[in-house]
Amino acid sequence: MESQKYFHKYLTKFIDLSDEEFNRYLMPVTKVRKFNKKDLLTKAGEVENFFNFICNGLVRKYYKKYNEEINTQISSEGHIIHSQESFHSRTPSEYYIEAIEPTTVVSITFEDLESLFLHSKKMEHLGRLIITYSLVIKDRWQIQLVKMSPRERFLNFVTKNPDMMQRVPQKYLASYLNIKPETFSRFKHLLRSHIKSIPV
Amino acid sequence: MAVDKRNINPSHLALAYSYLQRFMPIGAEQLSGLIPYCEFREFRKKEIIVDEGEIDNYLNMVIKGLVRKYIKVKGNDKILQLATEGHVVHSEISFLTRSPSLVILQTLEPTVLVSLSFQKMEEALDKFPHGERLGRLILTNMYIKKDERRYTWMAKSVRERFLDYLTHHPHMLQRIPQKYLASYLNIKPETFSRLKHLSKTKG
Repeated sequence: MESQKYFHKYLTKFIDLSDEEFNRYLMPVTKVRKFNKKDLLTKAGEVENFFNFICNGLVRKYYKKYNEEINTQISSEGHIIHSQESFHSRTPSEYYIEAIEPTTVVSITFEDLESLFLHSKKMEHLGRLIITYSLVIKDRWQIQLVKMSPRERFLNFVTKNPDMMQRVPQKYLASYLNIKPETFSRFKHLLRSHIKSIPV
Repeated sequence: MAVDKRNINPSHLALAYSYLQRFMPIGAEQLSGLIPYCEFREFRKKEIIVDEGEIDNYLNMVIKGLVRKYIKVKGNDKILQLATEGHVVHSEISFLTRSPSLVILQTLEPTVLVSLSFQKMEEALDKFPHGERLGRLILTNMYIKKDERRYTWMAKSVRERFLDYLTHHPHMLQRIPQKYLASYLNIKPETFSRLKHLSKTKG
């Protein structure tokens, strides 16, 4: 129940959604799933069947390039994570999705989501707003990768997500920010003096 | 730039329908309900459609021609998108969040766009019966494209990116100056020439 309530609260960032509406439309299709640390939510090669909202925990999305894991998303509670391309196009996922911490997600299957959109214009509207929001985030990330130097990406990320430095293993963060692990360590030293110089 | 709402070229209209039908199976008769919200805009070659710092007011689909979306990084242009017939192109963040554009949109060929202004889009989403669905499907498709492109950038080698692109878009080598293609694929111009030469000798 708590998990669904949290999801409901998240959705009201996009539209007004009464308890009655949430209970009618979303309650029947949401499913709470729990994962242990290191469990896979999605495997490469399988078609992603779930839309997931993280209620608590920490999850990463990555793909394998030769033997290296490249992280493309690291998300904590209050965020959406799934293999979108696979989910929407119904093709095998290129990505793995793995819990970094014990994690609880609220999930909706592709089939349920489609039928929700088909039966309610309001839900279709909500769906469009969420995908619009996701597209903007993806676009910002793309521009950041192209435009910012590794140093700028590092500072920008840790300033906005100070808690992530504690929660996420450094090698994942380095990969996510597309910074070499050695460079990442060096930047960490920078950070101490940098933070002191930022007025709070 | 010429705006022509009333006297729409029938072939442009037919193309608009067929491209929209790729997103959603819907008859031309029903789609015609969307046309009053749209503008058909024509641009010459090398015209700037949206400049850095401007708020992009349009969602566009290319009817004819070619548009590049790029960003200036330390004096260099980095191409983020090359949009041809049937593709959706605009400055997404600027359009959706009503903030100054970080990217520049420029035509590389004489181009015709079918465009929805932000305000008309809001109206169409509300009043055109299939608006929400069509809007969601177009956005979903953009999202998939963006995800694919990101995957290609990060997971594939220079050589793979080159070969993949030319396999899927063989005609683009004729349409686009090589330096633009190299920038789009994030390949150094010298490397691009070498790869092109190699692919020719292999037949």
